[in-house]
Amino acid sequence: MIWSIAWRNVWRSRSRSIIMIVAIAIGLFAGVFTMAFMQGAVDARIESATKTELAHLQIHAPRFLENNSSEFFITNSKQLANKIASNDSVKAASRRLIAEPFIMSAHGTGGGKLIGIEPSLEKEVTDIWEHLLAGTYLEKKGRIPPIVVGKKMATKLKLKVGTKVNVQMVDKDGDFSSKAYKVSGIYRTNNTSYDEMHLFVKFDDLKKQLGMDEDTAHEIAVLLEKGGMAPDVKPSIQKIAGGNDVQTWKELSPEMSLLTDSMDQYMYVFILIILLALCFGIINTMLMAVLERVKEIGMLMAVGMNKRRIFIMIILESVMLTLTGGVLGIIIGSGITKIFETTPIDLSMFSDGLEKYGFATLVYTSLESGTLITLTFLVILTGMVSAIYPARKALKLNPAEATRSE
Amino acid sequence: MNIIEIKSLHKTYDDDSVPVHAVNGVDLNVEEGEFTAIVGPSGSGKTTLLNIIGGLDDATKGSVTIDSTNITELSSRKLTNFRMANIGFVFQAYNLIPVLTAKENVEFIMHLQGRDKHDRESRASELLQAVGLGEMMDRRPSKLSGGQQQRVAVARALASKPKFVLADEPTANLDSKSTENLLNIMQQLNKDENITFIFSTHDQRVVNKARRVITLEDGKIINDINKELL
Repeated sequence: MIWSIAWRNVWRSRSRSIIMIVAIAIGLFAGVFTMAFMQGAVDARIESATKTELAHLQIHAPRFLENNSSEFFITNSKQLANKIASNDSVKAASRRLIAEPFIMSAHGTGGGKLIGIEPSLEKEVTDIWEHLLAGTYLEKKGRIPPIVVGKKMATKLKLKVGTKVNVQMVDKDGDFSSKAYKVSGIYRTNNTSYDEMHLFVKFDDLKKQLGMDEDTAHEIAVLLEKGGMAPDVKPSIQKIAGGNDVQTWKELSPEMSLLTDSMDQYMYVFILIILLALCFGIINTMLMAVLERVKEIGMLMAVGMNKRRIFIMIILESVMLTLTGGVLGIIIGSGITKIFETTPIDLSMFSDGLEKYGFATLVYTSLESGTLITLTFLVILTGMVSAIYPARKALKLNPAEATRSE
Repeated sequence: MNIIEIKSLHKTYDDDSVPVHAVNGVDLNVEEGEFTAIVGPSGSGKTTLLNIIGGLDDATKGSVTIDSTNITELSSRKLTNFRMANIGFVFQAYNLIPVLTAKENVEFIMHLQGRDKHDRESRASELLQAVGLGEMMDRRPSKLSGGQQQRVAVARALASKPKFVLADEPTANLDSKSTENLLNIMQQLNKDENITFIFSTHDQRVVNKARRVITLEDGKIINDINKELL
């Protein structure tokens, strides 16, 4: 009966309750949609980072990552890559050689990270080939070996398909090495910083230039069936990799890890700010509801309704009011979010800024059901917390005075 | 048999610089089945006395014993339970719960007592029939007249099967017809079911119906007339 009274009391001052419910619904809708939008943007960034740049796991010789020095390499790399690729959780594995060259063109110079890949295997691990704006993915035409460069670097060095570049580096033995390459393709990802710094050549071409021994590699990139499995799969890959280091994408890119970990916190802080603002509105509404019913509450106390029950009744009333608005806001928010899960939000007007940080300009919203459950609990908690002050006011009433109040 | 025994009861308000003795040394016994009116001018202490008997206010000094329990010694929690089990209240302004129907208002106190639904429903119907509102059980208070609301309040006061009913100026907001009607119902309940009623009132019509009239002045009983003994 107390539940029934609390629910009917919510609708006692219909217009006041509706205004409060609408305010809560708008607040929660904004919260849900913003969370879904931010999550979508981060998911896209992670997707891009793992699919285009890092893959899910990487294997290196010990100490290689300290300064990307060619002298630290994986031996028996082909066999190791094949063994890893045969693991049930692994989709594909690709060997890479890595150098940090100095690049010269007729119009300028630049630096970056030169990655030697086996195109057919690399296609299964990363999707740079899908981002080609012009040319081919390392198809050799003529006697000069091919190189694929990013759009940003191509613009900077005024490169186009067919342009020659001179690539200089220190080889494995510490000697100076210089070699000409011809631009076979130009790619563009969502991350302009990446495009400016990463160049791709064929594995064997770089192997020759670095003077690497047969069957060696600096890196094996591993794509898993599911990216979220990386920490779980890592131990079994580590067993196969022996003395080499295995790292997940989060370990390889701490800034990405920070982004994903802190995003959840940011989103909850954002929601808490919304709920805190709503809290004051609910306190005001509930306080008015209590002060309007002093006589009635006094009567309830007089006839034997104890303080605990009165407290519960007011808390329930507040929770019902908040939950009605909250659930409404969450339903509308998730409904609209659902639409943008398949129809992207176009942010191309901000493309310069977004691409600098690797964020896509087309954002698909993403919302997990767990987030909605957490939000619902937060709404209930807000309702309860907001009712404490008005409920305490009610409990302080003296029934003798309250029943005779005007 | 006394159901209420009041000894040397004092209630002093000393919030202001001059203490006010609202109840000043009252000794009073009320027997089961009485139909008693407490009268007196405004500020004589009627309501304060009624509130202390009902456990809604505490005494400064003295004791109120109801059916062998000295309620002035009970903790707030025990007092609340005691009120629920032993005392029925009728207020001047009816004080019904506006979101509940007449029947639900009567049922409510039984719900607090933890009685089962069937028991609650049948007793609420029975009581509302007794106060002449059998046809209006499903109406909310806003759809009832003042007299009808007060009759619902009487039914509610009786729902918990209390030892006595305290009615604070129950007719103050009613017209003559409603007052007559209400008093007849309460008199009938008193006669048929031996329910004890204690009123505080200014209303001569209530005084006329009462079998015992206690007059208060400045917090003291100055007159106590039992008409049956006259």
